Formats: sequence, structure tokens, C-alpha cells
Amino acid sequence: MKKGVVRNTIIAFIIVVIFLVPVIYIIASSFKSSVELFSSEPTFFPKDWTIKNYVEALARGNFARFIWNSLFVSVTSTALAVVINTMSGYALAKFKFKGSTVIMMVILSTIMLPLEVIMVPIFSVLRFFHLYNTFTALIVPAAATPTGIFLMRQYLVTIPDELMESARIDGAGEWKIFTRIILPNVKPAIATLAIFSFMWRWNDYIWPLIAISDPDKYTLQLAIANFTGEYGSDYSSIIAMSAISMIPMLVIFLIFQRQFVQGTVQSGMKG
Amino acid sequence: MKKLLLVVAAFVLVLGLSACGGGNDEPLQMLWWSDGTEGDVMQGLLDQYLEETGVEIELVLVPYNDYETNLATRISGGEAPALARVTEGHLNNFKANILPLDDVYTTSGYTNLFFNDDGEVISLPMDVTANGMFVNLDLLDKYEVNYPTGDDEVWTWAEFEAEMSKLDGDDVTTPGVFDGKAHRFMPLMYQAGITIWDEAYTTSNLTSQAAVDTVEMFMRFFEEGFLDRNAYLENNAANLFKTGNYGFHISGNWNVSGYQDLTFDWTVVPMPQGANRATILGGKSLAAFDGSGQEDEAQDFIAWMAEAEQHDTYTGSVPYLTPRLGAVVDYGDFTEEYSVFLDEIAATDAAYVQDWLAQVMIPGMYPIINQFAEDAASGNFDSALELLTQLEADLKEAAPAE
Repeated sequence: MKKGVVRNTIIAFIIVVIFLVPVIYIIASSFKSSVELFSSEPTFFPKDWTIKNYVEALARGNFARFIWNSLFVSVTSTALAVVINTMSGYALAKFKFKGSTVIMMVILSTIMLPLEVIMVPIFSVLRFFHLYNTFTALIVPAAATPTGIFLMRQYLVTIPDELMESARIDGAGEWKIFTRIILPNVKPAIATLAIFSFMWRWNDYIWPLIAISDPDKYTLQLAIANFTGEYGSDYSSIIAMSAISMIPMLVIFLIFQRQFVQGTVQSGMKG
Repeated sequence: MKKLLLVVAAFVLVLGLSACGGGNDEPLQMLWWSDGTEGDVMQGLLDQYLEETGVEIELVLVPYNDYETNLATRISGGEAPALARVTEGHLNNFKANILPLDDVYTTSGYTNLFFNDDGEVISLPMDVTANGMFVNLDLLDKYEVNYPTGDDEVWTWAEFEAEMSKLDGDDVTTPGVFDGKAHRFMPLMYQAGITIWDEAYTTSNLTSQAAVDTVEMFMRFFEEGFLDRNAYLENNAANLFKTGNYGFHISGNWNVSGYQDLTFDWTVVPMPQGANRATILGGKSLAAFDGSGQEDEAQDFIAWMAEAEQHDTYTGSVPYLTPRLGAVVDYGDFTEEYSVFLDEIAATDAAYVQDWLAQVMIPGMYPIINQFAEDAASGNFDSALELLTQLEADLKEAAPAE
């Protein structure tokens, strides 16, 4: 038994190192001068540490604003996504109504369509609702995702109907059942959805590129991509800002990690 | 939970309401990407325009890699920008959506113009680019490499290779780097006297012995480690040259401003020559788009920008080679370097310029040549003749039918 634990720990440690190396390399490289970055004899850590990349990148745009924009869009969109996807998943998992399977199939089938294919139609919808170049354009279309609905539905299916039935016998209304009985039981799934949703929105690039035209509304990813010109890329600035862009994801994961692991591992319901 | 839902609902409502509004009094939008300081220079001119006319134009920076996606979606979605910085490729792809400018400014005062299918001018040329070679003087002096210094002195490719091959120490990764673009490759062909097209876009001399020799030399440079293959394929030559471990960088004039802070001495020398000297003109233009709802205002700005004072301020401040005929632009500290590029342009036969400009009629031409040069540099092909035969076939297929 003890042998097994030691072996597993070593394997886990090796995997952690493999996954951490690129992250640490990015952070270390962000402190290298541009000459050292492209040196023919690359080193893992900088020979001469410098914060020049950060200073120069930050001077080339209002990055405080871009970071704020990204945070605002990601947090709001995630909050909306949790509410909408949980409710949709609940309805599809627990209420038997005509066409519910068809609706689920239609929702799932939209996963097959990549954004690039439906970009122009969605853009036209944005224009129709006068949402072009607004934060709403970044937040609302991402609020209900087929993956999110699917995730929540699959988790909710595992909750026994008896829970709801006994609550109904006790005189609880539907709203109360949802908020008092269902929600506390799906916390792990909500945490998983929140992390994924935040990650999707935070890293989103192609949609903000299309939906936003005002530089003041640029997200961080959009601003970072602007370091690429026709004749080459300013990798020093890209690496510095990419290192900064990792921080919020780390914070979110640290907050939700316990529930996240539980949500992804757990297939049934406890107790 | 109920409270949270109410808060979210209220928030969405506020966002939705704030999204409404807008109209023609909104600032004009100018799509732009930047390689160096040109965005700042243009912003200065836009500020000046606002002061003089009261018309606000917003510079919208879009990453170059996705510039065309952005422009295409805006146009097809009915949100065309009023103005945009464009390349020859963009002009080709969007010429049906770009406003003619013949009556907007005196087009005869500019070179490197682009036309739509009706023969109308659709761009205001903002700069022209020419090829040249940047050399690392510290390395060249250390390895006693001789390089052309006089006005009329130009290397042959053989002399160039012999001299640069002296660079073989530990502090040299490869003797040089070459920009990964068809713009930099094609001068080699023109220098060997090879043109792609006759007037009817039917025949070429791409499979002639001179062409085979040129491409074989180009392939050999990579094969023998004289040029850095990854720098070409990953279009990363400028970043590598900056490390100081390369003797030369075959590139273009835009790097003059980008190389200001290098830690070693450098200068610009003419490209080595074949049977003759040749460079390729490239450059960026400004275009006004149909469907922005601000067409008149956009054309007014182009008219203002085409005036000598503003245009020369732009090209002189970045600095760029000017496409304005007869303009005397003060290149300040870079006068010497820029004279090399101007000499290259002057030494280029007009037939080659014309040949290269065939891409205005043939949108597929540039990507085909780009791919060909990449294949030649990649080391995945042995026969230059085979590659050239394929190139000829691809180009003929892309050419307009007779």
C-alpha cells in the first residue's frame, strides 16, 4: 500500500513538472531581454533579469483598461452562464415535456458548428439588436452554451427525483425546490462550469476581434495580438503580457479547485 | 439566489439599454495595424485633422494576422469601416467594396496606385517599400568581410557569398537571415532577368536555365546553412538579426526605424546583383469603404491626407519611402540608409515593376509565389526545375482566362 502511494506520488510529481515547465518558462522568458530571447544558445532562466518587456508593453497601450475589460466580460458572462445553464439543464433533466429530447439534440448539435462558420450570421444578429461594439455583444452570446447546458443536465440527471417529490409533499414551491434543494446539490458542477466559462471568456479572441471596434473596449487577448505586425511579432511584449494574463485564471482555479475536482470526478450524487 | 438572479437580470437590462444609440455623428473609424511607429504618427495627423475640421477619426488597431477576417466580417455584416490601411492583397480582395478616388485627389502625383476592374484608382499610396540588406558591422569587421561602401559598388551574388562565408565563428549562428516573404524572394528572379508574365498572362520564362540557377542558389543557401532556414519559414528574421549573431539580414526599408536601438553597429548595403539590379516595390495604402455611411467624410480625409504637407509629414516621421512623385522628404538621421533604397528603386527596370504589379489582376499570384519560395527554402524538395514547373502551372491556372 505504502509502495503504491510513493509510486503514485512520484508519477503525479513528474506529470506536474511536465505541465509546469512551459508555464515557468514563459514567466522566466518574460524577464529576458529581446536579444537573449532569440539567442542561439537559449537558457531556461534569464542571464540578466530585466523588467523592460513589461515596462515597454505596458507603455504601448492602456493595459489596466484591457485587463479590467477582460475581467468584467469574463465575470459577468460566467455569472450569467451559471444561472442560464443551470436552469436549462434542470428543466431538461427533471421535467418531462413534449419535445424535450429533440430540444436537447438541437442544442447539442450546435456544438458541431465552429464559430468561424456562424460568425457572419451572429454578427448580423448583433447589428440587428444594435449590440455591435458593446460589452453586451461579448457577454450575452456566450451566456448559454451547449456544453454548459449538457454538463449541468448530465449532473442533474443523477439527482434522485425523490428529493424533489418529498419537497413538493412538504409544500415547497418549484422556485424553492430549485434554489434550496437542487442548487446546493450541484455546487461541484457549478464550480466546474464557472471555471470553464471563465476560461473560455478570458481566452476568447476571435469573437471580440469581430464584435468590438472601439479600442477602449478591447479585451486583453485582443490587445496582446496587436503586438503582431505584418513584418513580424514583438515577442518580448507578447510574452510579458501573456504572463500577466495567466494570473486571473490561477486565482479562479485556486478558489474553485476543490469543487472543480469533485465536479469532474464525481459521476453520481453523494449521500 | 433570488437576489442574485435579480441583480443579473437588472445588469443585463442596463447593458442592453446602453448598447442602443449611435448614429452618423459617431467618429469615423480607420482600421490600422502597426509594425513600428507609424500608428503613432498617424494618430498625430488624426489629432491635427480633428483640430482643423472638427471631424474625429478613431484609429482602430487590429492584429495583422486577423486583419482580413475582421475587415471581411465587417463588410459582409454591413459594418464597413470608413477607412482602412490596406496592402495590395486587401485591395485585390475588397476592390468591389472600396470607393473610387479619381475625383478625390490628384492621382497623377503618386506612384504605386491600385485600380478596380473599371480602371478607377481605389487607394491613396501611403508608403512604398524596397528591398535592401542590413549588415552587422561589428561582425563584418571582426571577420574581415569586405562589403560595398561606394555609391556604385554592388556585390554579385558570388562575391557576396564568398565574403559572407568568412563568418564562421562561435558567435555566428548562420552568416545571414532572409525575410520569409515573396517580396524578398522575387528580386532574385528579376535580377536574373526573369519575368513571370507576357502581356496576355500566358507564358513565362520561369523554367529557363537562369531561373533554375537562381532557385538552386537560393535552395543551396539554406541547405548549406548560409541562411537560417527557420528564420525564413517562421518569418522571424528581424528578431534573430537583433541578437547580433548574424552577419546580414535581407529585408526592406521599414527595419531602419526598428533597428535604432541595436547594441551593434549596422548599415544598409544594396542587395547583391545578378545580370542586373532589381528590387520590388511594395507598400501600404489608405482606402475608403462603401457602406460605412460616412463615405463623404472618409473621402474628405483622403483628400486632406493626399496634400503634400500631411503626406510628407507621415512618410518623413516614420520614416517611409514616399510614393508622392517629386516629394523631397527629410529622412533625418536615416538619410544615408534611405539613399540605398532609393538607389535600388532607381536601378530597377520598369518591366519588372510592371510584372510584379500583375498581381493586381491576379489575386492568387502572391500566395502562389509565397508558397513556392517557402517550398524552396524548406529543404523538402530536391529539384528546382520541378518546383518551377509547378509554379508555372499554378500561375497559369490563376491567371485570367484569355
